[in-house]
Amino acid sequence: MSSFNSLLDGFASALTLSNLGFGLLGTFLGTLVGVLPGIGPALAIALLLPITYTVSPASALIMFAAIYYGAMYGGSTTSILLNTPGESGSVMTALEGNKMARNGRAGAALATAAIGSFIAGTIATAILAFTAPSIADLAIKVGAADYVALMLVAFTTVSSLLGSSQIRGFISLAVGLVLGLVGADLQSGLARLTFGNQSAVEGIETVPVIVAIFALGEALYIASRFKEVGWKILPMKGKALMTREDWKRSWMPWLRGTAIGFPLGVIPAGGSEVPTFLSYAVEKNLTKHPEEFGHGAIEGVAGPEAANNANAAGALVPLLALGLPTSATAAVILVAFQTYQIQPGPTLFLTNGALIWTLIASLFIGNTLLLVLNLPLVRVWVQLLKVPRPYLFAGITIFALLGSYALNTSTFDVQVAIAIGIVGFLFRRYGMPITPLILGLILGPNLELQFRRALQISAGDYGTLYATPLSKVLYLVLIVVILGPSLWSLRKKIANRKGHVAK
Amino acid sequence: MKLPQGAKSELTFVGSLFALGFLVFWDTARSEIPAFNLTVSPKVFPFAIALILMGLCAILFIRILRGDVATPEGLEPGDPIEKSDYKTFAIVLASLFAYLLLIERAGFVIAALVTFFGITVAFGNKRHVRSILFGTIFIVIIYISFTKFLHVQLPAGILEGIL
Repeated sequence: MSSFNSLLDGFASALTLSNLGFGLLGTFLGTLVGVLPGIGPALAIALLLPITYTVSPASALIMFAAIYYGAMYGGSTTSILLNTPGESGSVMTALEGNKMARNGRAGAALATAAIGSFIAGTIATAILAFTAPSIADLAIKVGAADYVALMLVAFTTVSSLLGSSQIRGFISLAVGLVLGLVGADLQSGLARLTFGNQSAVEGIETVPVIVAIFALGEALYIASRFKEVGWKILPMKGKALMTREDWKRSWMPWLRGTAIGFPLGVIPAGGSEVPTFLSYAVEKNLTKHPEEFGHGAIEGVAGPEAANNANAAGALVPLLALGLPTSATAAVILVAFQTYQIQPGPTLFLTNGALIWTLIASLFIGNTLLLVLNLPLVRVWVQLLKVPRPYLFAGITIFALLGSYALNTSTFDVQVAIAIGIVGFLFRRYGMPITPLILGLILGPNLELQFRRALQISAGDYGTLYATPLSKVLYLVLIVVILGPSLWSLRKKIANRKGHVAK
Repeated sequence: MKLPQGAKSELTFVGSLFALGFLVFWDTARSEIPAFNLTVSPKVFPFAIALILMGLCAILFIRILRGDVATPEGLEPGDPIEKSDYKTFAIVLASLFAYLLLIERAGFVIAALVTFFGITVAFGNKRHVRSILFGTIFIVIIYISFTKFLHVQLPAGILEGIL
């Protein structure tokens, strides 16, 4: 029962007045930023990072937990009322949720999203609390060579599963790896890609890159291509309540969504796109009201929303136990840990046990606060959507620039931010996914470190990289993920050709 | 050979990423390794990444020539790709540079206000007085809450003593 006792201790420290205050502030800010169109949880956390530069680690992590869940709640509101999903995980919610809002059922859609997220979040956090320590125990046995394999798998799945074009995903990853190279090499001190710039020797900070590629890139892109396009907010009639019928149709999708979302968060499956899509497909197949799908079926909101939240909690397992982020949002949280010199990984539960249990406890608390706060306040959040777009983008830009500068009070970080903003614009224009770049930047140096460690232990024998059973399995997975899509399209091509012949 | 719409500019983009790969390769090749006895040289990763990036760009380059052009974010495959509005783009970019130039010379409030105003103009706001007014209130609130309550240092600049 040691997990349970530690968790109780976690609750005790999370429930102090000041920490509860930070939790409340986090839920409020997270929802506020998440509601704004085009801002997903990853950017919301990155934008709010400067707020935590000076508070204690425990309070900051509690705030992040609250912002994390808050931004997801906020995002579903925008998807339903505006049909502009802030991130890939809410695309499916927008599909049915926006149709429901058009039919005057916005209240029910928002309610099933909020309650579903709460239930999924609570179940998934409970599983996290009771599995993460044992996974961390196992993870201690994971060697440097296994880490190399794990990171390569994470890179590959994220690059090839996101977006429509595998090769563009890999190029994005490679650009991120290049950014990660900049600076003095940790072992030899060799200055790489610094071109004589003193500030560059310390490397490129991840915070300016993340806020810039999302916020500044988006501002440049929208301004130059979709300036004229406005958005239409659907009115919300009545209260955010569900009828008996709605409850009956929602509870199974919530549970199924949780069951799909959590495991897919634990393994590096490329973020929340796959689980929400799967959940949607499952609900569409199992529903008793197939005629409603595509016209506002409540199952199509309940399932994916639950899957999205459970997936987010699932992603914390590899993050905390292995230090391995599997989505853009998890990557940003990793950065948040690192600003406190805390390195997530197998030893985290030993070195910072109390902190982690406080974090897990505050996930429960944040989730509950959100349900209590959000449903009654939904109208207030909707008002936020009425902020004119020029002010909205101006405000986001100011926050992004502030965060970049305040990190080290250095203009070099601002220069990096502006350059990366232009990269963000180009990536959007040429259909390149952004998450692989972020993962490459954050994990690239780590990959190099583990790679060297493995070879040092084996005294330069490259065979060590695939010597363990785990690494063998991982490389097999790697081959399947890389070759899978091409084989699949080849099969289709052959099938098509046969079809032509038959005609 | 007729290229699909938008292909030419994408080829330029992919070409410049190839050039980035080459830059990494060149920079790695010319640098001198400090005299350490290392199992893995600090050049291994840069070389590998440079080669991967150049290889991938070359493949994508060929694919684009064969018609696999990118779909800009927010559009569906096959939608006509309009030219970007470079005047607006330039205003946004200039606003960002204004922040960079002013932040340490004039202080956060003035730098941010110039950027704020520039971006509202870029997004087609016509009520300039109102935008400056809102911007000032917004930025002063941010400045005070960050410096006074969160103790995050932001330069006061020429408004030192007033704020």
